[in-house]
Amino acid sequence: MSQRLRLTAVSFLNARPVTYGIEQGLVGAERFDLRFAEPSRCAAAVAAGEADLGLMPIASYAASAEELRVVPGIGIASRGPVRTVVLVGQVPWEEMTAIALDGASRTSQMLARLLTRGRGLHPDFVEVAHDQIADAVVGTRGALIIGDLGLHIDGRFRHVYDLGEKWHSLVGLPFVYAVWAGRPGVVSTEDVALLQESLRLGLQRRAEIGRAWALDNDVDPALGENYLLENIRHRLTSDEISGATAFLARSHQAGLLAKLMRVRLFDAPAPLQPQPRSAPSLDHLLADAAAGERLSLDEGVRLYSEAPLFDLGQAADLRRQALHPESVVTYIIDRNINYTNACTTCCSFCNFHRSPGHPQAYTLSREELAQKLRETVELGGVQVLLQGGINPDLSLAYYQDLFRYMKANFPLAIHGLSPEEISYLSQREDLPVRTVLERLVAAGLDSVPGGAAEILDDEIRRRISPKKCSADTWIDVMREAHGLGLRTTATMVFGFGESPQQLLGHLDRLRRLQDQTAGFTAFICWSFQAEGTRLPLTDDTGSLRYLRVLALARLYLDNFPNLQVSWVTMGPAVGQVALRFGGNDFGSAMIEENVVATAGTVFKISASDIERCIRGAGFIPRRRNMRYEFID
Amino acid sequence: MTLASISEKVSAGIPLSFDDGVALFREPDLLKLGALANQVREQRHGDRTTFNRNLHINPSNLCVAGCPLCSFSRRSPEQPGAYTLSLSQAWDKLKARFAAGDPVTEVHVVGGLNDSLPFDYYVELLAGLKRLQPALHIKAFSAVEIFHLHKLFHLEVREVLRRLVAAGLGSLPGGGAEIFAPRVRQRICPNKCNAEEWLDVHRTAHELGLRSNCTMLYGTIETIEERVQHLLRLRALQDETGGFQTFIPLAFHPDNNALSQLPAPTAVDDLRVCAVSRLLLHNIPHIKAYWVSLGIKTAQTAQWFGADDLDGTVQEEKIYHLAGSEAPQSLTPAEIVHLIRAAGRTPVERDTLYNVVAQGQALPAGPSPVRGQP
Repeated sequence: MSQRLRLTAVSFLNARPVTYGIEQGLVGAERFDLRFAEPSRCAAAVAAGEADLGLMPIASYAASAEELRVVPGIGIASRGPVRTVVLVGQVPWEEMTAIALDGASRTSQMLARLLTRGRGLHPDFVEVAHDQIADAVVGTRGALIIGDLGLHIDGRFRHVYDLGEKWHSLVGLPFVYAVWAGRPGVVSTEDVALLQESLRLGLQRRAEIGRAWALDNDVDPALGENYLLENIRHRLTSDEISGATAFLARSHQAGLLAKLMRVRLFDAPAPLQPQPRSAPSLDHLLADAAAGERLSLDEGVRLYSEAPLFDLGQAADLRRQALHPESVVTYIIDRNINYTNACTTCCSFCNFHRSPGHPQAYTLSREELAQKLRETVELGGVQVLLQGGINPDLSLAYYQDLFRYMKANFPLAIHGLSPEEISYLSQREDLPVRTVLERLVAAGLDSVPGGAAEILDDEIRRRISPKKCSADTWIDVMREAHGLGLRTTATMVFGFGESPQQLLGHLDRLRRLQDQTAGFTAFICWSFQAEGTRLPLTDDTGSLRYLRVLALARLYLDNFPNLQVSWVTMGPAVGQVALRFGGNDFGSAMIEENVVATAGTVFKISASDIERCIRGAGFIPRRRNMRYEFID
Repeated sequence: MTLASISEKVSAGIPLSFDDGVALFREPDLLKLGALANQVREQRHGDRTTFNRNLHINPSNLCVAGCPLCSFSRRSPEQPGAYTLSLSQAWDKLKARFAAGDPVTEVHVVGGLNDSLPFDYYVELLAGLKRLQPALHIKAFSAVEIFHLHKLFHLEVREVLRRLVAAGLGSLPGGGAEIFAPRVRQRICPNKCNAEEWLDVHRTAHELGLRSNCTMLYGTIETIEERVQHLLRLRALQDETGGFQTFIPLAFHPDNNALSQLPAPTAVDDLRVCAVSRLLLHNIPHIKAYWVSLGIKTAQTAQWFGADDLDGTVQEEKIYHLAGSEAPQSLTPAEIVHLIRAAGRTPVERDTLYNVVAQGQALPAGPSPVRGQP
């Protein structure tokens, strides 16, 4: 890669921190050749082969004729008011008969159209040139104002709607305006590291960049500074990717985007491990973790082993509050369908499986499945969680047929097949994991559940589930899934006599992968359910240990946006209390859950019970889908 | 009334006021509330959690009170499920426990307000249990039942108690207090004795040298203010007599009764009541997390929210199970020991009067798996 990489970027204020290190010649001076252009030109330059990488609007990324990749970790986004994408008018939104759109930004146009339709409104949309947009506001004609112009409009219009804010309150996720994108393979992990370094330097100088811009534009310096500090977020974390995915999915559904695009990333460099500080006091460590500072593995072990329960819980509660300041606790209505219990893995902790050929072994027929799917739709379900045994009778083609059938007949998302099942299919069909996943995605797979992780430590796996995939395989399958733009969850089952180091090691593997892929939406843990299994209960699996593990996970998994509480295994009472120990999601109003139910847990609660638990803990319940996007 | 100012009062040993109590119930930060209650709990009891080996006998479910809150009672012997134990049937329950090698140190006797049994039935019931096991402690008859006997047999409350003590009564359980506010009693238990009468039975018992427990049923239609008033009335009697050993918050369970339109309280409510009780009732030594009412897991969690007792092994609990409790019917001593250890506390077996019966190595060996985790 000796050739210089041609970068093209917008010159809006919100992009300056991203390009700062490069512009200043502090980063990649030998490697990058940076040019500035209008937003729509950034994508065109990449399409025309005039640039290798463009800092382009998310809509341009999605509309690209070729599949592009996104640079991990870097984005231009907002979580709430953005100030530079505003709908203005002399009459309220509901009374606008026309809306003038700025031709320069396709993303903002799509957002305005989506939100307008979402309110049941159908004004005429007319395109106007960027420099004439403010003058287009006359009578009942409103206008969409984008870019730095939005910062100057104070008092000019009677009605101003911040579309960043409207999106966030509607969907509960950030809005992503722009990303670095280019053709697969154009950037190396070293390039990614340089681009991330450029942003890191820019973020350090945000206030200065904002003030300098304001002086150039003859406005109050505080305006530019606050904009970069408070309105714009430059990270592309799991939440931003979910937000972008939600936007692209909704746009596709509304006919504004021809293809359904996922956000697919370039490979990221391996994350740096945090250096343990010189033995800070427990109180300091907890305060740092509550403030979002990264814990080292040893610090995690120390907190797990030594921190008093309430201190750990309060730190986790503070962290949860910082990540979810809206006091919302989400839940989903879906159905767990265990399509087969025939399984050759014979894990000692499982009471669900039967050997293939056993009189109690089953595989659900199409009719049985259809019945369950119909019920799911009738009960307001939006998704099915499909998990089953490792059944040698079922081929990849079986799943492809099944998914196509489901997609053709039911409006349900398919959250299906744990890494164990996917890795088995790859062996059975002698195909790479990526190919298996690609075929499943083409057939309708929407996301991958994080089951079969147990404890990601091969010493423990050999003891409790010797035939299950190794810890490395589990991680690799998830890496491949994330690489295809699939969102997945991650789980942990504890109580197998694992050491604190092994437990933290599990969390650490998840955190490292998430640093690279940002593909996990949520983490869910529970304790081993002993009853009816062949494994004796040798460990403390009570509610207090669960709360401790959950709180620790909230602090350690600083790059996981959501922690589900597991009322299905721990009971609604513990699940509710867990919302004060770091949890921000109540999981699923499940219609059935065979695997845990066979091991003696038979909790069943309705959506209204879930909402009562959530309200009782002091939160506002909202329904979500797998992306944690509000859908109520 | 901030939590910080309440915390200062707690540290200085100043009794909390009515307004403090209301503020605690409204405190949004459950963990801060819990940590404060836990501080008081650990100052008093360290990390010990006590339990006992006990047997519940409910002699009859025939009851003239007809309380809307109740799932246990029957109005007439003809109703399905109505029963009255003969004396030998009642005694056999105790015999069976000892015969099975599962001895108890306490029998807990409560039942309906039956208007057809003679006074001798109650006397003989206790005397017979005592004859079987002279060392047994009998904790029997809630204040509501004592008051019923007083009315039915035209005997002074003091006289009712004196005769029962002579037959073997050791202490009074705390049931029937519900919520003292007349507005609430009128709706949930209109025919039970009123607050003054309930308190007077306990005052008389304390004067006779009996210890007793006290309770509050929460989660029906009471307001926060009514809860606080209730707790403060208990505290005021305790200031007079010092006779209460334990306060037991009781969660309302809505199945199979006339209030089943009400939702059951959630775990956060349970823990909050537990913690606020610990903080308000500075003069009552123990707070019990009654696992039959709370479910095992919340009873464990409650050991960090002010409670220092888990009740007992409890065989044949009927009242809560008929109201929909999903807790097991009973626990073995080894299971209780395991549950307490799993909650991060040190188990101690006690008798009814909180004398230590066994601790450390003398306790049944754990851990043992817990059946059917609720």
